[in-house]
Amino acid sequence: MSEPEKPKIEPGACVPWEVKRKEFPEIRGDEEIVRRIWEDVDALGYLYVWQCLLSF
Amino acid sequence: MSAEPTSAKPMPAKMERLYTERLQRYVTAMRNEKPDRVPIRPFVAEFTAVYAGYTCQEVTQDYENAFAAARKCAADFDWDAVVANMVYGWSGLTQAIGLKYYAVPGVDLPPNTGFQYLEPPQENAWMQPDEYDQLIEDPTGYLFGVWLPRVSNDVSPMGQPTTYRNNLSFLKGGMAMWQYFNAFGPQVARLRSESGTVSAISGILKAPFDIIADKLRGYKGLCMDMFRCPDRVVAACEALAPHLLHIAAGGADPDRNVPVGLWMHRGCVPFLSPDQFEKFYWPTLKQIIEELWQRGIQTLFYAEGEWNPNLKYIAELPERSIVYHVDRGDILEVHRAIGHRFCISGGIPNDLLAFGTAAEVRDCCKRVIDGVAGDGGYIMDASAIMQDDTKVDNVRAMTDVTREYGVY
Repeated sequence: MSEPEKPKIEPGACVPWEVKRKEFPEIRGDEEIVRRIWEDVDALGYLYVWQCLLSF
Repeated sequence: MSAEPTSAKPMPAKMERLYTERLQRYVTAMRNEKPDRVPIRPFVAEFTAVYAGYTCQEVTQDYENAFAAARKCAADFDWDAVVANMVYGWSGLTQAIGLKYYAVPGVDLPPNTGFQYLEPPQENAWMQPDEYDQLIEDPTGYLFGVWLPRVSNDVSPMGQPTTYRNNLSFLKGGMAMWQYFNAFGPQVARLRSESGTVSAISGILKAPFDIIADKLRGYKGLCMDMFRCPDRVVAACEALAPHLLHIAAGGADPDRNVPVGLWMHRGCVPFLSPDQFEKFYWPTLKQIIEELWQRGIQTLFYAEGEWNPNLKYIAELPERSIVYHVDRGDILEVHRAIGHRFCISGGIPNDLLAFGTAAEVRDCCKRVIDGVAGDGGYIMDASAIMQDDTKVDNVRAMTDVTREYGVY
């Protein structure tokens, strides 16, 4: 069986929402708020490694 | 990182007026126009420690000391703008992460020597020559999965059992970085309220080529790669560029007053030939600067070394998109070539500030002001970042003569 295609990871992301979304069997409430906060916090991880590279 | 906290105390009226006056002076010059007088924006690093009575170790290990030293300099000298902390590499953070490539004052170096970067031997470069495709396909994944484990004593390689120290490296590194970055807001606010001083820059940028040279392949390794796999080098620069743009834009001044700091290391003579500069270094850097300018973000093009052979490329950039900083280039030639398009800063040699007399410093500053500041668009500063060998009297001479002589 072929491996699922890995999505291109855009600047600002470590684990894109489209990857994380597959881990939820369902989202029973507001999916948009889950997505937004996931991306906001994911961006902190992104910031960490790129600032290590750039600034330190 | 220069945003002020929303709960800042109201400034005394006098300091508020002084700040507004200085901000207008600084921004006017950066837009290549003529302010009331030549702004002074010294990039002072370990010099602040010497002036304020700290060792290099004390300002590098404890950023609160570095902040206090910067504030003391800002209060005592009559500067329009200063960097909130030019001794930027906080060793508390680098030690928490376990980074291998720092020599830290007071630990690896004598306490009064500034911190240094250590490049590994070419065969032990942080990125191996057969890893270009891995980097290009997923730069963030490469940094987390390959680069961090190599550059940190504590981060476990992928596929190996994780460890207590691995977990702590990420936890402490992340929280320490958060703490440090959040400390800049109050520092910027105090510079403003206590001495009416503008925070000179906001955000950070480096050229994709410099990232590969400094932190991945090493300069020597990259020199070989330019001959052995030039298409990979170009592709790697192109893969890194969107991420570097993203970080620069994210840290930029939301008010679009002060520029992003662009720190360049290998783009100048003699590190690259003109052909190599044109093929490898310039295209992606130009693209980033242009994109930033489209978003209203100016770049401080801190051209350390001799950049005059590259002025024809600099001239391609959109008018006013950069503040061009002069180190070893002939500043009069710079002014002739690009002074009509961009504000210029710097041009006062560091060796003069370290080893010359105050009279020589004054004469040099007057020559530079006479030569390039007549129509505005010039900011007084040393050629390169001032460290612990800079004489206090000479910095005072540079400041005083600019105040007296640099009036329009």
